[in-house]
Amino acid sequence: MSQMDQPLSKIKLLNPTYPNKSTGIINGESSGLLNWNDIAYPQMYDLYQTLLANFWKAQEINMQDDIKQWEYLTETEKDVFLRINTQLASLDSLQTPTMTEVMDYVTDSSFKAIFAVISQQEAVHNESYSYILSSLVPLREQNERFDQAKEDPIVRKRNQLILDRYEAFRQHPSPQRLFELAVNSINLEGIYFYAGFAFFYHLARQQKMVKTSSMISYIQRDEMQHAYFVSQFVRILLTENPELNTEENINYVYQTVDKAVQLEKEWADYILKDIDGIDLEEFHGYVEYLANKRFRQLGLDNYYPARENPMQWIQVFSDEMMNETKSDFFEQKSRTYTKVSSSNGFDEL
Amino acid sequence: MKAAIIYTSVTGNTSTLAELIHERMESRGMETDLIPIHEFRPGQLSQYDIIAVGTYTWDNGELPLEMEDLYEAFETEDVKHVTTGVFGTGDSFFAHYCGAVDLFRDMLFAQTSLAVTLKVELTPQQTDLDRCDKFCDRLTRELILV
Repeated sequence: MSQMDQPLSKIKLLNPTYPNKSTGIINGESSGLLNWNDIAYPQMYDLYQTLLANFWKAQEINMQDDIKQWEYLTETEKDVFLRINTQLASLDSLQTPTMTEVMDYVTDSSFKAIFAVISQQEAVHNESYSYILSSLVPLREQNERFDQAKEDPIVRKRNQLILDRYEAFRQHPSPQRLFELAVNSINLEGIYFYAGFAFFYHLARQQKMVKTSSMISYIQRDEMQHAYFVSQFVRILLTENPELNTEENINYVYQTVDKAVQLEKEWADYILKDIDGIDLEEFHGYVEYLANKRFRQLGLDNYYPARENPMQWIQVFSDEMMNETKSDFFEQKSRTYTKVSSSNGFDEL
Repeated sequence: MKAAIIYTSVTGNTSTLAELIHERMESRGMETDLIPIHEFRPGQLSQYDIIAVGTYTWDNGELPLEMEDLYEAFETEDVKHVTTGVFGTGDSFFAHYCGAVDLFRDMLFAQTSLAVTLKVELTPQQTDLDRCDKFCDRLTRELILV
């Protein structure tokens, strides 16, 4: 049995003889105390700050407009809306406890802290779906919709890919299984949400259910940071543990993300088939475009043909709609450079 | 005739791009210093004929903290004669794709002789190699003509 299949042991809370700056993200020596000024990967502090700066809560968004508009949606739109809502909620429900599970086995305290923040944000996402539901339909129907999500064979099939690896880690938490969990976490956060996002943004571009879309856009912004963090986590994990950095595991990434891509296309074909204005072929291209981005975040090659974003409207709302945080650098000194472009005589490649 | 590439990278994407550009500058016979930002010291910029700046982008299209000294060095040193280019990697899902490249672009246009900018999405791919060639062609073009 390779060392990468040996169980990881839960680290003790405090290990006074070890340094505060951990010697590894797993199986490292770490005192358990966290001083952000003395960490192995200083960029993690920036990431932590960014996650906190994204803080939001569902109650800040007033649902009155959407409540009025709900009556004007077609029956199909209402049905798809509720099914997607509960399906996304079930994904977030998995993610909250999984992130805390991982936390127990990661030895670097700065990574533990980031997993804690991610877990908290997934809990907020989960709540936001409940908040949307409670504004629109009675409890009885909410419960029926959750049962529907639990029983739907296509939803179950796609969740199974993720669940198998999450459960495998819970049963036997080894470095290899942690790696597999992380890849599937990228599937969940970086691929599986997007048929749902597409539906809500599609409503929003017709000025329908815009408040719900604002929430979705906050969720997307968080998920983008999570998928980015997890891809960094995977890169560091493979670099620190060369036994994991094998051709087999790289193939595992390509194969597993490809499976998620096929399942996401299948789900989209099923859930979005009666929605006018979403071209499913185009959405297939979008999912491949998205997966190529995930590969590149992991430092790998495109797996699908390189293409431009075919659905530019599936995008986080511009920050003008969010609480913009300006850096001090450009505020403390007045700089008045004019915005220039290639028409000023240089080339933009 | 001397060139420098001054860059910062977190994920390794921008440093990969910096290395690709470095190889191409050298293969054009241009002696080029490859300088990670933590090795950069102010006061050196004017000794170069060509400088390429490489940066990732943070948060809402912001300049990474470690690039601020370099940005200010371009504003205070004698660099009017320097031909410059700026390149970076980013993620187009964010509202300000490669925003730090744009911030450098506007300043370099005012302070130096800006020749070219280059944005690459995440890890450079095969198709980006041609763009790196064009970037280097454009940077060296005017100097070779002279």
